[in-house]
Amino acid sequence: MRAGPSQEEIRRQNLGALLRYVHVHGATSRAELTSALGLNRSTIGALTAELAAARLVSERAPRETGRAGRPSLVVRPESARVFAYAYSIESDRLRAARVGLGGVVLDRRQAARPPGAPPLECLPLLAGLRKEMHQSVAEDAIHVGSGVAVSGRPRRPDAAGRQSPGPVPDRPDRDAVDDGGGSGSEAALEVALGEVLSPDRPILVSNAADASVVAEHVRGAAVGCDTVIYLHQDGGIEAGIIVHGQRLTGRGGHAGEVGHMVVQPGGRPCRCGSSGCWETEISEHALLHAAGRGGSAGRDATLRVIDAASWGDAGAQAAVRQVGDWLGFGVANLVNIFNPDAIIFGGTLREVYLAAAARVRSRLNVMALPAAREQVRLRTPQLGEDAVLIGAAELAFGPLLADPLDR
Amino acid sequence: MSATPLLELRGIDKSFGPVQVLRNVDFSVTAGEVTALVGDNGAGKSTLVKCISGIYSIDSGEIVFDGRPVRINSPRDAAALGIEVVYQDLALCDNLDIVQNMFLGREKRSGLVLDEPTMEQMAAETLAGLSVRTVKSLRQHVSSLSGGQRQTVAIAKAVLWNSRVVILDEPTAALGVAQTAQVLELVRRLADNGLAVVLISHNMNDVFAVSDQIAMLYLGQMVAQLRTSEVTHAQVVELITAGRSGGLGLSGDNGDGANGTGTSGADRHDTPPTATTEPGVDR
Repeated sequence: MRAGPSQEEIRRQNLGALLRYVHVHGATSRAELTSALGLNRSTIGALTAELAAARLVSERAPRETGRAGRPSLVVRPESARVFAYAYSIESDRLRAARVGLGGVVLDRRQAARPPGAPPLECLPLLAGLRKEMHQSVAEDAIHVGSGVAVSGRPRRPDAAGRQSPGPVPDRPDRDAVDDGGGSGSEAALEVALGEVLSPDRPILVSNAADASVVAEHVRGAAVGCDTVIYLHQDGGIEAGIIVHGQRLTGRGGHAGEVGHMVVQPGGRPCRCGSSGCWETEISEHALLHAAGRGGSAGRDATLRVIDAASWGDAGAQAAVRQVGDWLGFGVANLVNIFNPDAIIFGGTLREVYLAAAARVRSRLNVMALPAAREQVRLRTPQLGEDAVLIGAAELAFGPLLADPLDR
Repeated sequence: MSATPLLELRGIDKSFGPVQVLRNVDFSVTAGEVTALVGDNGAGKSTLVKCISGIYSIDSGEIVFDGRPVRINSPRDAAALGIEVVYQDLALCDNLDIVQNMFLGREKRSGLVLDEPTMEQMAAETLAGLSVRTVKSLRQHVSSLSGGQRQTVAIAKAVLWNSRVVILDEPTAALGVAQTAQVLELVRRLADNGLAVVLISHNMNDVFAVSDQIAMLYLGQMVAQLRTSEVTHAQVVELITAGRSGGLGLSGDNGDGANGTGTSGADRHDTPPTATTEPGVDR
């Protein structure tokens, strides 16, 4: 029989639980913490004192409550002092942010990604953004670690042997993020990211959709949801999936490649080598093609089509309807398989969904099983474009929240 | 999601002289949900909203709020119940700043002077609660705001007063794509924060993007109120232009006779079969 957890383990766990609570919910009074965590008042007091001594939280008397009695002290995360760096490598830009405990974006920088540059070549640019931000960091600030979200990366840094989809033939600049083509260069990227961006602290690498679903689940549109799917479009289509509150990564970290779900056998060729993948029907490329603007590419061109549709351009409207129809087709399949509480449309899919919601919903209502579709909520990201950065920071805060005093 | 409606209208009739504008209209609004109210021009949407907000009095019918029958004879009665309307023209004053607009006519005082710090703080908290990030300064004049930002201020003004039902009349009309998206997200967030929201819109994409229920008016009659998860775009268009679609909506000769709504009542799904079996979805 296994011995029960030691007092030390319990204490560490309680410290983590308390810190996580104020990290997620923001400033909380001791009285609320007592009931939320199910610990007694003196324990909360002692834990708070330890965290305050480590300068992770601070305690202050609240404003006038207007009620009788001594008001309960309010515990706040030290957002301005405890921070992580978050990076996002996207198809056409690089973003970096300094995110404080509690999910507050303290500082942010952005740079264009040189067309066609593989992720490795972007590292100096990211390091430059970091350096700029680092100049304004206070002396006594606590740097916890870094998180990186990369469009089109597998879920776990140690994932090996993935055959990455090759580049789209007619849009060579599109998915340089996927050009790794195997475990070798992926591992090299992980190592290089660590060396260049975070030599002295841990760095966690994740996929953009995964980081986003984490952020939305912790503090966005999917708070309290059991099962959530975040569909992300940045060039390709991928999904971050949370089932029973846990990220779904699959065995090797390759789960969530919903863009390669085949929806039309014998359809258009896909960059993965197959044909008729969902991606070939709903991607930016498909929308532009349907609108007769196959020559252009990227986010801005996509938004121009949606804008044209809203002003009554018949060709653009037909294209948006067609893509919306296919979007609903795939979403209906996902709803039948996962029975999610919420599906979140991120990246350019946000605009596509809002412009074609009638199509998406109608398709879903016809195809999905009633039990699964009645409760599914279709949402756009509450954190907007910040979701990916906040999610990357969330990963970086993970170790701290698991064991706050182990540094 | 609560299964019982917060606001329920039963058998509402309203005539202007010889013209009967609303006939035996049933309509319900649930807290935590967006109920879209759709219909062609002249179907009676605006009249229905004005009956709810106390601008028009109803000829006959019953209004039930939070389980008890109420009479709404003036806008003051509606405000006392927590019913706020954001009209298309927004009714904001260009020469006042955001805080002044939000408290216009209901200013907070401390003693003889206006309590500016409290008002500013309440305004800031309301906007933060709605995750509004587009407004830079609360002391900015409304004349300097974009269409979407004005809509945001008008909506925030409506939710400032612990309101429980917010009615939005065409909030995305005349907005560009980016601002429409922001306003739709705001509408959704109001409901996710627990308010009952009524959205009047002609844009079916907006309706399907954010609504939980769709109520369809046709020539002054409520032809159906259905959950958004059980109806298609084509059906909604048919219902508001022809009054029926397959087994849904009015039956017989378009209900020109006074009893035409009798059958439509039977077809309605005010309380869908799922509402009771659904597990407690937390919002």
